[in-house]
Amino acid sequence: MEPEDDLCQNNWGGSSSSSSSKRREQVCFTSQHKWEDASILDYEMGMEEEPAFQENSNNNNGGQVNVDFLQGVRAQAWDPRTMLSNLSFMEEKIHELQDLVHLMVARNGQLQGRQEQLVAQQQQLITTDLTSIIIQLISTAGSLLPSVKHHNMSTAPGPFTGSALFPYPREANNLASQTLNNNTCEFDLPKPIVVEEEHEMKDEDDVEEGENLLPGSYEILQLEKEEILAPHTHFCTICGKGFKRDANLRMHMRGHGDEYKTPAALAKPNKEAVPGSEPMLIKRYSCPFPGCKRNKDHKKFQPLKTILCVKNHYKRTHCDKSFTCSRCHTKKFSVIADLKTHEKHCGKNKWLCSCGTTFSRKDKLFGHIALFQGHTPAIPLEETKPSAQKGSSACENSNNNNTGMVGFNLGSATNAIEEVAQPGFMDGKIRFEDSFSPLSFDTCNFGGFHEFPRPMFDDSESSFQMLISSACGFSPRNGGESVSNTSL
Amino acid sequence: MPLSPSILSVLSEDLLVRVYGFLDPPCRKKWRLVSKEFHRVDSLSRTSIRILRVEFLPALLSNYPNLSSLDLSVCPKLDDDVVLRLASHGAVSIKSLNLSRATALRARGLETLARLCRGLERVDVSHCWGFGDREAAALSVAAGLREVRMDKCLSLSDVGLARIVLGCSNLSKISLKWCMEISDLGIDLLCKKCKDLRSLDVSYLKITNDSIRSIALLPKLEVLEMVNCPLVDDDGLQYLENGCPSLQEIDVTRCERVSLSGVVSIVRGHPDLQHLKAISLSFLHNIKALKHLKTLWIDGARVSDSSLLTLSSSCRSLTDIGVSKCVGVTDIGVVGLARNCINLKTLNLACCGFVTDAAISAVAQSCRNLETLKLESCHMITEKGLQSLGCYSKDLQELDLTDCYGVNDRGLEYISKCSNLLRLKLGLCTNISDKGMFHIGSKCSKLLELDLYRCGGFGDDGLAAISRGCKSLNRLIISYCGELTDAGVEQTRQLEHLSHLELRGLKNITGAGLAAVACGCKKLDYLDLKKCENIDDSGFWALAYFARNLRQINLCYCSVSDTALCMLMSNLSRVQDVDLVNLNRVTVEGSEFALRACCNRLKKLKLFAPLRFLLSSELLEMLHARGCRIRWD
Repeated sequence: MEPEDDLCQNNWGGSSSSSSSKRREQVCFTSQHKWEDASILDYEMGMEEEPAFQENSNNNNGGQVNVDFLQGVRAQAWDPRTMLSNLSFMEEKIHELQDLVHLMVARNGQLQGRQEQLVAQQQQLITTDLTSIIIQLISTAGSLLPSVKHHNMSTAPGPFTGSALFPYPREANNLASQTLNNNTCEFDLPKPIVVEEEHEMKDEDDVEEGENLLPGSYEILQLEKEEILAPHTHFCTICGKGFKRDANLRMHMRGHGDEYKTPAALAKPNKEAVPGSEPMLIKRYSCPFPGCKRNKDHKKFQPLKTILCVKNHYKRTHCDKSFTCSRCHTKKFSVIADLKTHEKHCGKNKWLCSCGTTFSRKDKLFGHIALFQGHTPAIPLEETKPSAQKGSSACENSNNNNTGMVGFNLGSATNAIEEVAQPGFMDGKIRFEDSFSPLSFDTCNFGGFHEFPRPMFDDSESSFQMLISSACGFSPRNGGESVSNTSL
Repeated sequence: MPLSPSILSVLSEDLLVRVYGFLDPPCRKKWRLVSKEFHRVDSLSRTSIRILRVEFLPALLSNYPNLSSLDLSVCPKLDDDVVLRLASHGAVSIKSLNLSRATALRARGLETLARLCRGLERVDVSHCWGFGDREAAALSVAAGLREVRMDKCLSLSDVGLARIVLGCSNLSKISLKWCMEISDLGIDLLCKKCKDLRSLDVSYLKITNDSIRSIALLPKLEVLEMVNCPLVDDDGLQYLENGCPSLQEIDVTRCERVSLSGVVSIVRGHPDLQHLKAISLSFLHNIKALKHLKTLWIDGARVSDSSLLTLSSSCRSLTDIGVSKCVGVTDIGVVGLARNCINLKTLNLACCGFVTDAAISAVAQSCRNLETLKLESCHMITEKGLQSLGCYSKDLQELDLTDCYGVNDRGLEYISKCSNLLRLKLGLCTNISDKGMFHIGSKCSKLLELDLYRCGGFGDDGLAAISRGCKSLNRLIISYCGELTDAGVEQTRQLEHLSHLELRGLKNITGAGLAAVACGCKKLDYLDLKKCENIDDSGFWALAYFARNLRQINLCYCSVSDTALCMLMSNLSRVQDVDLVNLNRVTVEGSEFALRACCNRLKKLKLFAPLRFLLSSELLEMLHARGCRIRWD
């Protein structure tokens, strides 16, 4: 491949981070000329997820690429007629899009320097359309893709070096951006589904391996907060309906016509890796929350493995916990699956620590006790009702207090331990100890709780345990009975 | 004897205290009756007390301000209310508290006690079968506790143990025998938190090798008792090879899965081991490495004479050896043992059927310090062996000749020369007669315990001789000695200190005999009258009237009537353990009334099974609430 192409590539990555309004104008301008190659552009967009493709896509000679495509496709068993119909369908769509962009350009010429907002909106509109076209193209291309991939991968400079994809210095990038921005313009559109990592970071900041991945051996992707929290990530290009999963979208697409019913259209777009091909770069994700250990700017950055991990991590760690357990009314969760898991076991945790933590297993309780100074196992009465209504109301009261919060935090900390890998666990532990030193118990004001009815735990020695008892959902009535029993 | 006032005026209080210090307990009792001054010295110097009746508790506590040890184990009616009332007297300087069998006590009372005695260091709540986690939590209030005995606290689980462990981190000794709920988790936590532990008893627990691994991490552990831990095997004991550097005493008897290799690994790791109790060891040559071994119990092992010889030639500091039920032990081995281990104090040869007089003679001649000799079922022992015992073993204190039918009157004559004898067991020795009894009675005046179970050969005269001579006797077993009649049994009234008397199966004694015993033996604490069918109500009335200290009584198969039973049960104010099976003349109502009269002090009760449905549920509930355990027979 020519060095020029490489330059293109570099520019592409380097410019994506600095999007100025001036460049956007260029974008619109260039798009006018380039729409006949729209299919290739689509292709480029699709490649964003697999950077190795980008080089090929940057080739100015779109037709050439198409020829390559067809050759590659021909090598395998496929139906040219289906392909043709698919392509023509896409062409149609692309033309539609082209018209739209024409319109925009016309208007943009008049309204130069207008609010960025409008520009952004337009760009977003185009992006979404483009994205859908790309997806279609990829699914249409079907089994072709891997061979192309393979081809590109082999030409890419050493993929396992820190700056594998962008070996050239910044000056070259700038130069390239000036000369070759025609092709790269589309990629300055804000917020594609996956935003490229800023690769300057990679050069200086080494990434610590949570799973023993060499820095640079994987690609870091970072989704924006809105995307993480968006209920749907896949939209139907025809009717606009949103879906959580691509597979569901593909199922839905069948309703829009026979062309979506072909095996190629229904196949999983990303999974067709040819067995002997060189492995793709592994993808890892970064949390957009600044300062988070899962954020790529963090000194000890620990990447997240999948998009699902990102979603769960973000919700658990950086969002409000809005789902409350309907049984204990104490525990709150931000991920609804966590709530469901908890509700399955809520009330069954019969192993209690004096700090209010409950455990479903005795050995867990004893491990906890052995770990923390001053914690003792609490002794419940024999006839404990797991979730008495009275107790729950009492615990709601206590939630306003420090100790109530303690119990709550604790729960979340343990949750974090469960979901997150090793480093997260360490985090949790530290937090945990800080907030649970005996000192902090003392500082909690127990004054109000002395008026509580007799606790259900027979631990009259400390008001703290009394409090715990009331916070854990046992009715005071039980306590009263036990007292009378023991006084016999 | 009148003392001249001048002598008393010379003796200052310090001197009196010093003199008092040299007295033994019975003399101290008399001492405090001498004068007010003496009484004052007594009340200031006394540090330990065993309380028989809870009514006296407050008065005694205020009378003896310097008490450090309080024993409430035989005190009936000890419950939370009593303790709460005690609390009003303020803090007590008790360090050691024995609450064994205080089954009516519950968490509330226990906690009050623990708070009351701030300096509490030792507590014994063994056999309080109702005790569980809550009681343990109450106990953990006493943060200074060092020694805890919790044998047979059946409801105690890991949670309760954890409370004690976390509350009392200075624990140095804990016994968890028969606390069946305790598991590896509890033991693990104990070993993690109580690094000062020196003595640990985990006998009969369902613990596994994991526990042993935790135990092996205890740096200061000296004594480890793990009798009958069925889940522990050799792999577990291997942890001990490199752990517990201070281990001195270990008991692994009746651990089914422990074999040779496990014990070898312990021995290898601990050359300084002093006490080893293991079972079924088919070897001894590994033990010879233990130069400092003092105690070795290898009951039931297959020991050959040669191995016993090599053992004894290397472990010369042995003082206590038990080879009971070791089939291969013969004279050669025992003679060699006696020659090598001349410091031997305790020798257990029970059921070593091949041991003869020659071996006993050798032991008697070489081991002059011998104090305890157990020869149960050594059928070849005759008077010749006992002769040398009488000649040489002047320090002999305990001699067990149960089921040695070679023992006859002549033999007893020789034995009687051991004038320091304290305990003598002659059960099933049918060849002894009144003549032999005369010898014992005339010479062994220090005798404390005499077991004549099924010695059918002697009669009233023999018992009279014993009663005359052995005045300090406190434990006498004359069950199934069929010749005995009222005339003989009446003589036992001379035994003032008698506290334990078994008269089982004496068909010839009547109410008169029992009345004499009850009248004379004021300290009687345990009385077994099973199958004494001819005792009539007059005897029981006398018993009810005189035997006020009776704590445990067995009345099975007695012809006691309803009224007599009620009288007994209501009058015997210390009675705690009663067996009432097969009482032909007692009706359901009689039983109900009798039990109602004493239900607040009973701790253990054996009843005829159908009564379970005939007695009022109210009564049974009451008994249960007081911590009384009922066995239905």
